[in-house]
This record gives sequence, C-alpha cells and structure tokens, in this order.
Amino acid sequence: MKMVNDFSIALQKKFGRQRLRKLILGSIPFVVIIFVWELNTHYVWLDPFEIPSIAAMWEAIFWLQSDCPDFMAAMQGHNDCNLSNNIMSSVGRVILAAFVGIPLGIAFGILAGVNRTLSGYLEPVGIFMNSVSGIAWIPLAIVWFGVGWETTLFIMLNTIFWLIFFNTMMGVRAVPKVLVQGVQTLGGSRLDTVKSVFLPGAMPSIITGMRMSLGFGWRALIAAEMIGGDSGLGFMIFVSASEFKSEEVFLGVILISIIYLISDRWLLVPLEKWTIERWGLVWKPT
Amino acid sequence: MMNDRSSVSRTHKLKKFVTDGAGRLIIFMTCAVLLWAFFSVFIIERPDRYLPSPLAVILSSADMIYKGSLLSYYSDTLTRLIFGGVVGILIGIPIGLMLGLNRTIADMFYPLMNFFQSVSGIAIFPVVVIWFGNSDTTVMIVILYTSFFPIAFNVLSGVRAVPVRYIQAARTLGASRLQIVRDVLLPGAMPSVAVGTRLSVGFAWRAVIAGEMLAGRPGLGNMIFSGQELDNTAMILLGMVMIGITWIILDHYLLRPLEADTIERWGLVQR
Repeated sequence: MKMVNDFSIALQKKFGRQRLRKLILGSIPFVVIIFVWELNTHYVWLDPFEIPSIAAMWEAIFWLQSDCPDFMAAMQGHNDCNLSNNIMSSVGRVILAAFVGIPLGIAFGILAGVNRTLSGYLEPVGIFMNSVSGIAWIPLAIVWFGVGWETTLFIMLNTIFWLIFFNTMMGVRAVPKVLVQGVQTLGGSRLDTVKSVFLPGAMPSIITGMRMSLGFGWRALIAAEMIGGDSGLGFMIFVSASEFKSEEVFLGVILISIIYLISDRWLLVPLEKWTIERWGLVWKPT
Repeated sequence: MMNDRSSVSRTHKLKKFVTDGAGRLIIFMTCAVLLWAFFSVFIIERPDRYLPSPLAVILSSADMIYKGSLLSYYSDTLTRLIFGGVVGILIGIPIGLMLGLNRTIADMFYPLMNFFQSVSGIAIFPVVVIWFGNSDTTVMIVILYTSFFPIAFNVLSGVRAVPVRYIQAARTLGASRLQIVRDVLLPGAMPSVAVGTRLSVGFAWRAVIAGEMLAGRPGLGNMIFSGQELDNTAMILLGMVMIGITWIILDHYLLRPLEADTIERWGLVQR
C-alpha cells in the first residue's frame, strides 16, 4: 500500500496534480464509451452493421491496405494503398490550398486594407463570399470543373482565400493611423509601411483567420470530396456508406477528426498563441 | 446664392450616400451584377452552361416562383434551420451551464466534447445515414449536432467568466444555489449565450445546406444540387445568391443586433 502511495505522490510531483487530475478525469468518458462499445460487440444489443466492433475497424485498416506492398510504396501513392492514398490526397489538398490560398489572401487583404475607401467597398464582397459558404459552391464547381480534384481544390481555396482576405483586411484597417504616419514621417516608403506596420499589426488577425479558415476548409473539403470528389477521406466514407461497410465509415470519421485535432491543437493553437504574444500587444494611441 | 448652396448640399448628400453603408452596398451590388453580366455575355463561351446572365437567373426565379417550388424549398430550409437551431441551443445551454458550474464534471466531459466537436457535422453524416437512412431525421440530427457545440462551449466559458466576488456576495446575503444560478450566473453568462447563439446558427446554416444536398431532402441545398444534375446552372446561381443573402440578412439584421443588445444590457459586468 505504501508503495502505491509513494508512486502516486511521485507521479503527482512529476506531472503536476491538476494536470494529472484533468488527464484522468478526461479519459473516463472515453474509457466508458470504448468499454460499452466492446460490450455491445459481445452482447449484440445493436446490430453490428449499425455499430461495428472495434476489432472490425482495426481490421479494416489492414484490409484497406492489404494490397499495399510496403511503406515506401504507400508514400509514393501506389494504386493499391487505399487508405494511405485517401489520407494523403486529403491532407495534400489542404496543404496545397493553404500554400496557394494563404499568401494570396494576405496579399490581397493588405492591398485592400491599405486603402480605406476601397476596403469599404470590398467589405460587403468579403461578407457575401463568406456567407455563401464553401459547401454552397460545390454544385457550381462541379459544373465548371467536373467531378475530380479540381472541384475539391477549388472549394478549399475558395473557403481559405475569402476568410484570410477578410481577416487580413480587417486587421490592416485596425492598425492605428498614427503608427503609419510615424513611419512615413521618418522617411519610410510605402513598402516600408506594409512591411513594418501593416503586416505585423495585422498578424494576430491573420493567424486567427488562418486557424478559422483551416477549420472551415477541412469541413468544406470533406463535404466537397463526398459530393464532387474522386479521392480523399470524405470520398472514402461516402462510398463506404453507400456500400454499407460501416466499419470503414467509422474508421474514416475517427481519422478525419484525429487529423483535424492534431493539426489544430499542436500546430495552429500554439502558433496563434505565440503570434498574439509576440505581435498582439500593438500599442494603441489614446 | 441659394442655388449654389443647394448644389453644395446635394453633392455633400451624394458623397455621404456613396460612403454610407447602405449606399456602398447598393453600389457594390450594381457593380457586381454588371460585371457578372459582362462576363456572362461577352467572355464565357456557353453562358447557359457555365455562367448564365443575371437576367436568366431572374427569369428562372420567376419561373420557379410561378410553379411555387422556390417558396416551398425556401420555407423547408428555413424551418429546418429554425427548428434544428432552437433545439440545439436549448440542449446546449443547460449542458454548458452544468459544465460551467462544476469543475469536476467540466474536467470529465470537456475532452470528450472537444473530440466530438472536431468530428464536424458533415463528416458524421455517413454514420447518421447508416442509422436513419436518407430521411429528414438525418438532416435534423446533423443540424442539431453542429449547432450544439458552439453554444455549449460559449456558455461554459461565459459562466466561468462571472467574477467569483459576485457569487460570494450573493452567498453572503443568504442566496441558495438555485438563486445564485438564476440571479448571478445566468445574467452574467448572457453575452456569451448571445455570441454562442450566433455561432451556432451560423454552423447550423452550413449544415442545413450540406445535409439537404447529401440526403436529397427538398430545400435550398437540394435545389442547387439538382440544378447541377439537371444542367440548370441558372438554378444553382439563384440558390447560391439566395443562400448568401439569407445569411447576410439573418446575421447582420437579426443576430448581430441581438448580440449587441444583449452585451449592452447584460455585459456591463464590472471586474
């Protein structure tokens, strides 16, 4: 008994009492759900078609990857590696859209935000484009580009670009005029004001927009893949649902949320925090 | 002299109109429609297939209004949004309140809710289809699911943000637990309830469109989707414009004023 006690004290000292408590308490519902889920597969209260067993889901991973020769082939996108191909095509599309859409959005946002009159006119454009959410563009995108990767990429780009554009514009507009005038008085060119005033001043807003846009974009991408795609996780779960392979659907849904959680918690939230700490406390003239 | 002054005031009025919010919107709308018409008539090769002119869209809307389908689609979508949003908010507020009141419960369920929030409503759609088929129930569940989380999380943080001093003051004066919830925590959390409501309705709106599209239930989402299947691009554009305008009206003229009023009325909590 004493050993257990010592062990728990040592654990608490190592990780901190509050964090340990949070971790344990937070894991209780997950454990209960998984336990009940397992019980269900033993006692079959609900049809295994409605709730597939965890083992079946685990097997589905290998089943989907069964024809895949080895790891390198999976990385190169071998035709038979179903699951890894779908994951990579979804994530790759997000990365591609982010690399194209974010710089474009920031550039146009700054251009629009620098000029107050222009930004006044472009504000309704941004609001309208953000209101016609990514999902509503899907049918039109299918008409324009046909079913395939162009459609999904277009939806993703559309969602990312307008959110970033709008946020950047708003951030640039919120930069106090005195700071710009200060730089200009000291002989700074237009480029200097953009580089050392507008960009850093709008940075917190841009990063917030980035986080929002990736959240919305990921959702829109899944929907776009379901309706107008030919690869990706959304496509996979939609096809599996129409083929009544519920274990693949569950696997896909869990993968989607895990990928989003990881990218959000470990990449975007720290980035946002760091940016706000670094650039957020812009001095406001009183 | 008189004439001069009136002309000055007229130009002033014009200037004010041009830089005014509503004036800007009208000018922008006119420009956008003109640009759209220009592209459609002079640049695109097959406008009826790829980008019908605004006139074609208006004509198709007149046709659909005449047949009565546009109004019925529109009311279907709005009913779904209102019903799903209201139920989602009514479930979300008590749960958020419960999590805000008790730290142990909050620590227990917060990670779970976080996980399920990141499974977006659209991704959960195939699972719900397996359970309920392509029915209205499916769309409803997806809407409920998406509108529940923003409000619950906002109420949670709103309750947490009420200063402890107020609770202690009420307790010192002999208030019961129920009274504290009713008189201190709920009014204190009111601004976050308003913010959460706006977010929830926004998410629900997206979910309605996507759900109707995927489940094939009659509504605006299904209208634009069937427009693509029937090769009727004018119908798609009409649906998109209606979706955008409805959301702008809902957001800017209903939810934002509501939020601002709530914050003005309840939000002046002194720190």
